[in-house]
Formats: sequence, C-alpha cells, structure tokens
Amino acid sequence: MEGALIVWTVILVVGALNYLSRLSFIAAFGRRSMPAWLARSLKFVPAAMLTALIVPMIVTAPAPGAIAWANPKVLAAIAAAVVAFHTRSTLKTLAVGMLALWLLQWLSAIYG
Amino acid sequence: MLPACLGLIPFGVVCGVGAAAAGIDFVGALGMSAIIFSGAAQILAVQLLADGAPVAVIVLTCFVAGLRFLMYSAAMAPYFRPLPARWRNGLAFVLTDQAFAASVRRFSATHDSRAGALHFLGGGSALWGMWQLTNAIGFLAGNVIPASWSLEFAVPLCFVALVAPVLRDVPAIVAAVTAGGFVLALAALPMKLNLIVAGLIGIVAGTLADLARERWKAR
Repeated sequence: MEGALIVWTVILVVGALNYLSRLSFIAAFGRRSMPAWLARSLKFVPAAMLTALIVPMIVTAPAPGAIAWANPKVLAAIAAAVVAFHTRSTLKTLAVGMLALWLLQWLSAIYG
Repeated sequence: MLPACLGLIPFGVVCGVGAAAAGIDFVGALGMSAIIFSGAAQILAVQLLADGAPVAVIVLTCFVAGLRFLMYSAAMAPYFRPLPARWRNGLAFVLTDQAFAASVRRFSATHDSRAGALHFLGGGSALWGMWQLTNAIGFLAGNVIPASWSLEFAVPLCFVALVAPVLRDVPAIVAAVTAGGFVLALAALPMKLNLIVAGLIGIVAGTLADLARERWKAR
C-alpha cells in the first residue's frame, strides 16, 4: 500500500475501534451487564498497559536495546510517580517530573 | 477540567512532533488527533508506522492499549443511563483517560445526571479542542523546540500521572510490575509486539493475584 493510504487506513480503523471501545458499555448498559470475570480483568488494564508503555520510554539508553536503570529519566519518573500517587494531579506530576529531569541532567553535566 | 486541559498541552505537542518526525503530512496528523483522539494510540501508531509495521499489527497494538476504554465505558455507563441515546453516543467520543479521571468522582458526588453530563460534554469538548490545537502546534513547531528540553519525557509522565494513582492495592501493583518486567524481557520481539504480550501477561497476573487475595480473605 502507498504511504498516505496506510496512514488513513490506520486512522480510520484505530479511530473506529477506539470509539467502539468507548461506546461499548455506555450503549449496551441495561441490556447486558458485564460478566464478572471481564470486570475483574479490565480493572488491571490501565496498570498493566500503561506500565508496559512507560517502562521502555524511560529505561532504554541511547544505544538500541541497551537498558540503563540509573538514568535521570528513571529517577525523575519515580519522583513524578510519588507526586501522582499522593496528588492525582497531572499538572503537578508533569511539573515535578520535568523539573527533576532538568535538575538531574544539569547535575550529571556538571559532575558526569 | 481546566487542570486536565493544561496537563494535555505538552502531551499534545509531543504527539504532533512525533507525527512530523515520522513523515506523516499535516492533514494526516490532524486526522490522527481529531479521529483517534488518544495520545497513547497516536504515539504507538506513529512509532509503528515509522518502523514499517504491517497495518494489522498497528491496529492490534492500538486496540489492546485501548482496552482500558472498555473499563471507563463500564464505569461511566450508570451515570449516562438516564440520558437519550444520541447524547450517550456523543459523550462516548470524548471519553478519554483525562476526562474519565476528572469526572468519575464528580459524577459520583452529584445525583443530577444532566448537569454531570453537561459538565462532561463541555470538559470533553474543551479537551478535544485543546488536543487539536496542541497537536497542530507540535507538528508545525516541532523542530523549533530545543532537544535539550527533553519534551518527549512529557509522554511517559502523562502516563505516570494516570497509572500511579491506581497502584493502591497488591493486585494492581502485581499487574504493573509484571507488565513492566515482561516488556523489557521481551524487547527482542519485532514490531513492538512486546507491548501487547507484556500488557496481556500483566492483566492476567493482576487478575490471578486478585483471585488469590479474595480466596485468602475468604478462608
């Protein structure tokens, strides 16, 4: 397939699936309630999926495939996670995370 | 939802920057932000498109990442129930992580479903508008933002803001730690299939931990 066609196929199919996921139980409620096993499993989708997205973004070092645990992003993300856990605030999480990252990068530039 | 709108600014800008970096044209980038309207799915789709992954893999990865919308949908369904179907269909479109997080507690506090729905629709529409604006700015201004700002770090931070507050019991922590471990252990899988596989293993691990805890409590 040609580039633009692939992009638009992805946009329309992913967009449709996203909308159907959002609509699912809002539309079906009353006619069908959720099976207990599904409700139990879906509770863990955000914890599992979002963590699977976050971890590679913060531990992967510049060299492809390499893993760097002690890098500024890991430490800044942990600081941000503590703030998010206690405040539930996106803004405060972003502020603390970015400031921590800049501070750590600045320190490692001086002492590294 | 004003704090949610402001929190979206760096996330939207980064999505726009990513679309431009992947070689998607401006109309395609706008189509993504307007129709997909999910930062996680847009980031994944853009990365996989740049990697040349097959359409089926891109769609499947975005779908699995979007399974959380099923949960949000189920959680909001009781509050939307008294509304006409046309309203519900519209409200579902603006059901995002941020809109859900901002309104689920508000809805449970108020018993006036129409006022709650109006607030949700207004907030959700504002989030949508803000999303288009910030994606467009990111697309157009991407190469102006200095790389030393590490703006791309805003993406994992937005996810951290969503995930950290749910890690309040053992099964949720088990799900997160398992998924995080497997996504690294399986990093060699092609086309970022490690995301789907690790996510699904994490969901199963959380579910099993939840069942085990329930059984242990019942004894």
